[in-house]
Amino acid sequence: MSQDEDKSEVTEQSGQSRRQFMATTGAVAGAAALGVSGTAEAARKRHPKRGGTLRFSTRSDSRGLDGHRNYYYYVSHPLAATSMGMFDLDLKMNPKPGIAVEHTVSKDMKTYTFKLRQGATFHDGSPIDANSVKWNFDRIQNPKIGHSFTRSSIKDVNRVEIVDNSTIRCHLDNPSGVLIPSLTYYPVQFMSPNSAANADNHPIGAGPFKFVSWKKYDKTIVERNENWWETDDQGNALPYLDKIIGSPKKEDRVRLTALRTGEVDLIENMAYTDAVGFKKKYGDKFNTWDVPQVGTGYLGFNLKSGPFSYSNGAKGKMMRQAAAHAINHEAIHQAVFSGLSEKARGFYSKASPWFMPELERKYEYDPDKARFLLKKSGGMDEKLVLTSRDAYAYMHQTGEISHAMLTEAGFNISHEIHPYAVLKSKWKKGEYSIDSTANSYRPDPDRWFSANVISTSSNTKLRTGFNNPKADKLIIEAKATLEMSKRKELYQAVEEIVNEELPMIYTHFIPLTCAATQNLMGYEPAFNGPYSTQRAGIRTAYMA
Amino acid sequence: MSQIHLDGGGRKVGEIHVPTFNEHFLRYKVAFIDAVQELYKSKTAFIGGVMLVSLVIVLLGTPWLTEYDPTKPNYTAFLNPPNAEHIMGTDRYGRDIFSRVLWGGRRLVAIALAAVVFGMAIGIPYGVLSGYYGGLADSVSMRVVDGLLAFPGILLYLLIVTLAREYHLEGFWNDLILVFALGFAFFPEVARLSRSSVLIEKQKEYVEASNTVGEASLYIAMRQILPNCMSPLIVNATVRLGYVILIIAALSFLGLGTPPPTPDWGSDLSSAREHMETHPLLAVFPGLAICYTVLAFNLFGDGLRDILDPRLSDR
Amino acid sequence: MLIYTINRILHMIPVLFVLTVVVFLFMQMLPGDVIDTLIGDEEAEDPETRALLMKEYGLDQPIYVQYGVWIGKVFQGDFGKSLITRRPVSLELFESIPATVYLAIVGISLSILIAVPLGSIAAVKRNTPTDYAAQVTSLIGISIPEFWFAIMCVLLFSLYLGWLPSSGYMSPFEDFGQSIKYLILPAAAVGFRQAAYTTRLTRSSMLDEMNKEYVDTARSLGFSEKKVIYKYILRNAMIPTITISGLQLANLLGGTVVLETIFAWPGIGQAIYLAIIDRDYPLIQAGILVLGIIVVVVNLLVDLLYRVLNPRVALN
Repeated sequence: MSQDEDKSEVTEQSGQSRRQFMATTGAVAGAAALGVSGTAEAARKRHPKRGGTLRFSTRSDSRGLDGHRNYYYYVSHPLAATSMGMFDLDLKMNPKPGIAVEHTVSKDMKTYTFKLRQGATFHDGSPIDANSVKWNFDRIQNPKIGHSFTRSSIKDVNRVEIVDNSTIRCHLDNPSGVLIPSLTYYPVQFMSPNSAANADNHPIGAGPFKFVSWKKYDKTIVERNENWWETDDQGNALPYLDKIIGSPKKEDRVRLTALRTGEVDLIENMAYTDAVGFKKKYGDKFNTWDVPQVGTGYLGFNLKSGPFSYSNGAKGKMMRQAAAHAINHEAIHQAVFSGLSEKARGFYSKASPWFMPELERKYEYDPDKARFLLKKSGGMDEKLVLTSRDAYAYMHQTGEISHAMLTEAGFNISHEIHPYAVLKSKWKKGEYSIDSTANSYRPDPDRWFSANVISTSSNTKLRTGFNNPKADKLIIEAKATLEMSKRKELYQAVEEIVNEELPMIYTHFIPLTCAATQNLMGYEPAFNGPYSTQRAGIRTAYMA
Repeated sequence: MSQIHLDGGGRKVGEIHVPTFNEHFLRYKVAFIDAVQELYKSKTAFIGGVMLVSLVIVLLGTPWLTEYDPTKPNYTAFLNPPNAEHIMGTDRYGRDIFSRVLWGGRRLVAIALAAVVFGMAIGIPYGVLSGYYGGLADSVSMRVVDGLLAFPGILLYLLIVTLAREYHLEGFWNDLILVFALGFAFFPEVARLSRSSVLIEKQKEYVEASNTVGEASLYIAMRQILPNCMSPLIVNATVRLGYVILIIAALSFLGLGTPPPTPDWGSDLSSAREHMETHPLLAVFPGLAICYTVLAFNLFGDGLRDILDPRLSDR
Repeated sequence: MLIYTINRILHMIPVLFVLTVVVFLFMQMLPGDVIDTLIGDEEAEDPETRALLMKEYGLDQPIYVQYGVWIGKVFQGDFGKSLITRRPVSLELFESIPATVYLAIVGISLSILIAVPLGSIAAVKRNTPTDYAAQVTSLIGISIPEFWFAIMCVLLFSLYLGWLPSSGYMSPFEDFGQSIKYLILPAAAVGFRQAAYTTRLTRSSMLDEMNKEYVDTARSLGFSEKKVIYKYILRNAMIPTITISGLQLANLLGGTVVLETIFAWPGIGQAIYLAIIDRDYPLIQAGILVLGIIVVVVNLLVDLLYRVLNPRVALN
């Protein structure tokens, strides 16, 4: 251990209680309590009765098999079960030991040392050791290979040093208190170096299930990894299931029908209109779960050019305020989410440890005020465009109803729905005024604020173009802070700036309902997909 | 009409009469009156005609038939069942479905009509000239048409409309782009059909006669041959209208139509699917509207074929 | 005949050339590119990464160079790799085309099975209520949007009656019985519309044949009415029916996009449609080229077959 390092005492010195530290960074001490031995026993005890094949219908299919090139954006896709990262999560979204069982942070928060799980192997039997972990870091950081989303999660990591066979050390460019949550799966996932050559056809991962086959838009098969290290509280090896057969069905209705006709056992993302009546009507035949909120919808303004932008000065802000006053959150809540969502005042919902109860919306629904402000700003005749993305119904439905509200308030606005590639070219050229979109949670708020609010991030530059030095300063400060309560205060200050300056209007937390036949036992839906949460999700599921 | 006819611009070339445009018009006028009489006789055409006329009346009368703005949500009337105020109920945003069906129909039928007309406007001259001149020009231009026809199914429409849609313009201009796109995708078929009609017509005596007296080729092709090939093209266009409506609806159903809130049968049907179980009527109304419209065009087209092209009709 | 055939085959080359050029031009005109899709929305790319990836995928070249490179590889039987999955395009096509062919063939066969008897009966009993019923049914059949028909079928047979699976696909080589179950609804949706077309076609070609001289001759020779109808009229009337069905088959390969979406059928239509959204150029180009080849080849075969069956058609 090097000089500048100091085990978790660092937290004591900064006056943070041990409990808080755990909540922040997912500390190590939890490992033993979880019954994780850290070694793969030779004879792994399987639960005598629990197993079976789960037929799971997801909304989307994976885009490819190489986990470094394609983050499995839909983390529920069975392919995501074949992979894992340095850390897992628990049901409260806190990081838990995964491949890394212990870690220490240097005082300057620029060096992280990780102790790796003894005896853990990839699916081909090759060891998960310092060499292979470093190889994974390097491959992800190769801009020709690593998906930008994955790459950006570890962009602070300057180099990875191999300390010994089971210890690695990450040297960062800048102090960061947020590396641990960034190393949860997803998106930083590991594959066997042996699979690199054939990663597009047959990935070899390290997750609780092993890859068997993938046929695009048709069928994915993964089978149980009998060498997975996790156990249940009786010491039986997880996961229980023998096999998962995934069949992507894009249409919500098609998925639900497939569940009802017995073609699949579990579905995700039920349409909101169906979810309302479904529990009542079919509660005796099917189980439903409201998955912890995983995303937040918002309307982002174009501050780079056009009537809402900085170039329009005070008038631009007044127009944004008018727009905010025009948005009837309750109507969106009812019309788009069938009353199932939660109206957002900040980015993090009640399900998150980062929820900020005191946060207020600055500009509430008030159509008269909207009209007044719009008239005052003289923006009545400005030609505006509201864009939404085609992939998700709630995005363009929110866009559709917001468009109606803005029109009613007197805005001269049109509505367009586009696929991602077109939207991106429009963002680049500034050919939009408002964008109806959503962003899904990262375990740590830095991943939201440092990507979408701070002025220096390429994503902020691409989309809203928000530029607030005060907010920037707060975000940088929060990143270099370990203590959670302190960080939360800083982020709350940022949210207040956002709600005042209106680079975006938070609208709703996106609800998610999944449903299963009653044969599916032990399943507990979890944030971040059903595979990366310890002792929950599909890891503990089995068929009766 | 007599073989020898000297007045009215008609010319005598040997013993062969060359019909002129005016004469064609006259002939069509007579044919039209006959056709109207035939319409009564042909049950299909009659029923189709009545359906079409009522459709046109309803669509033209839309502003008077419904007072609701099809794009305006009503936050207090989400998903109402049919009732006295909203005879077809309301959708998820509280918009009146009856008004959406009517206004959506106006747009759809207008776009389909315009697209077919546009397709004919480029396809007919293309095919006629190609067929008339023959030779290398014909070969090259027909290979282009064949290349476009080699796109199976609706893939050409899909590709062109995707392209058109992403150069989004506002309101009317957006519809116009859609018209061009659909018309362009439709044109190869028209070009093929008009070319083959011309090839048949070209063999006829009057054309040879015109050639002999040294008429300008373009004049012969467009003024003399073309009017004689019109009837199969018109029949085809009528039947194709129904088909184009189905294609537009299918593309909207896939999400390639005009974005909401613009009323659109295909996309309304697609979004109604979410409410299939709880509010099945939502999908029924736009679906029935499509069926009715397409059926009207098909019936009428069928009847028209029987009348204008007796070769194919029942004997 | 041989010269005609060779001539027709030679004609296919410019046709396919036009097809590929058109697709290439469209791809060029579509706003947004695959790099945007690949990079995703979490982190905007820096210009260097973009340049790097453009180079990696050969997209930095002028369009005609890209086309040349692509066509050169196609001649060597190499369709390249999908930009999204990075698997060989040929593999992606090989996975998706059979599902569509399977659906199209069964759908067409189903339509012939329904339409030929129906159309013949309508023709034989023309201007009777039977005929009108058949005509009205077939007219309604071609007027109903197939996606609407499909949705209604799912509602009835899967949801309310629970007889058939609502969606999904299984290869007939995997489990034939199951495969048929998955196939019934999509095939019915394809077949219903086709049957409507084919019924009309059969009826009108039957009527055409009935008016021919040989029919009167046969009758005057004392053949029974049954024999006249079944042995002569129906047989001859089948020629156009079968040929048109063949053409429809080729057309269906790209025409089932909507049904594939509704039934989560992993076919080529859906694959191309999603590739267009993703701007996965190699997959779009190869997919449309392969389908285009199938269309022109089927057209040629049908044409030749027609000429063999029906020698009255002059060779030009």
